Amino acid sequence: MLLMDAVVVKNLSYQYQPRGPYVLKDINLEVKPGELAVITGLSGCGKSSLCLCLSGAIRHQRYGVMSGEVSLNGQNIEDIKGGQLALHVGIVFQDPDTQLFSPTVEDEIAFAPENLCLPPPQIRQRVDYVIDLLGIAALRYAHPEQLSGGQKQLVALAAVLALDPPLLILDEAMSQLDSNDKKIVADTLEKLREAGKTIIAVEHNLEDLSFADRLLVMEAGQIIRFDRMEAILEDREFLLERRLIYI
Amino acid sequence: MSFIQIRQVDYSYPRKTNPAVAGINLTLEGNCITALVGPNGSGKTTLTKLMIGLLPPSRGEVYLAGRSLKQYTLAQIGRRIGYVFQNPDLQLFCPSVAEEIAFGMTRPGQEPELIQEKVDFYLDYFELGDYRNAFPLHLSQGEKQRLAIAAVLANEPEFLILDEPTIGLDAYRKKRLEDYLGKVVGLGRGMLLVSHDLVFVNRMAARVVGMENGRITSDSGQEGGQTHEY
Repeated sequence: MLLMDAVVVKNLSYQYQPRGPYVLKDINLEVKPGELAVITGLSGCGKSSLCLCLSGAIRHQRYGVMSGEVSLNGQNIEDIKGGQLALHVGIVFQDPDTQLFSPTVEDEIAFAPENLCLPPPQIRQRVDYVIDLLGIAALRYAHPEQLSGGQKQLVALAAVLALDPPLLILDEAMSQLDSNDKKIVADTLEKLREAGKTIIAVEHNLEDLSFADRLLVMEAGQIIRFDRMEAILEDREFLLERRLIYI
Repeated sequence: MSFIQIRQVDYSYPRKTNPAVAGINLTLEGNCITALVGPNGSGKTTLTKLMIGLLPPSRGEVYLAGRSLKQYTLAQIGRRIGYVFQNPDLQLFCPSVAEEIAFGMTRPGQEPELIQEKVDFYLDYFELGDYRNAFPLHLSQGEKQRLAIAAVLANEPEFLILDEPTIGLDAYRKKRLEDYLGKVVGLGRGMLLVSHDLVFVNRMAARVVGMENGRITSDSGQEGGQTHEY
């Protein structure tokens, strides 16, 4: 039996204002279940906008104009109710400050499972599990506002992992992490992939996610290459020409 | 004379039992690049906020060009030390990108033509020309980061503190930033880079200071000192 693609995007275009420039132009892509795909490209090329479209966050934006189709596990996001989106996809935003709002780290992580109306023992189990997974036990009762940038990123990731979504989108979620925490997150992503989760991660430092399956390179709102990560990393000429690495 | 001197400084956030930084003694020269590195939550950002008077030490004293920081107003400190926050959203507030860059230079006696010339230069160097009239908070994260850096550099402060300046920057823009900061140091100005980006730190910094659990644990600038690894 053929597995259905976890993410299918057909002819996706997006403008933030009706007469504004296209930030995404005719995007077509498929991501398989259990695949880890990395998105990269120069800043302003549309990576975050694509993530927002994939997560369904942009779909109902009042002033934006989105055309084309995004499907998650065969279901068009247009047909998924807002309150049900969290069962399909979790997104970690680029700036953790836009995501954290609870009085303690524990409350922050428990918030999503509580809103899924899970029984309390299961909520506790999920909270304990992600705290242990990301090594943030020391932060459990801290106020998210008082954490460092990197610690906030870990908490934002933990809060989304507690949702246990089949599709995880990370928008530069490792940018403020030290090398030790980067390793913890990279190991976590590998475990999640083994467990069958689909992961899409935006990243500038390709070495940090060199174990990914595929790399999608964007330029000016379009996909210019979507290939095996290994193949693109070996193509130094391409990376230099597209200014994705420097000497 | 050292540009910034920190003597026996502790700082605790309100309602916290453990100090965020403790027993800090550090001297920064005004003509080279020093990097401050350490694990997440080790107190790096707190220490830089103490250096610019945004936080008052719970104990000890910070000196700027030989005078206690208490003798300066925040505006006076801001004119001498340019500070780029880790999160550019905290820094950008003007209605347009061009005004954001011009803001720090706009003061009595400054020629409008000169300000315009500098704004054009920084828009061009940091490749923000297409967004001249855009609202800063509508830019992408990487563009906001470049704008925050450009706005602080345009003010030409004597010393710069850049807190994680490479966050959100692609490799090409990182290289442009490196080149520019190299030129700034060439003009005899100093800076402190707070960064987890060890490749960037190793390419840029003459001295690397390491922190852990609120304390300085290594300093390559000290005799027999070693580069901190984490």
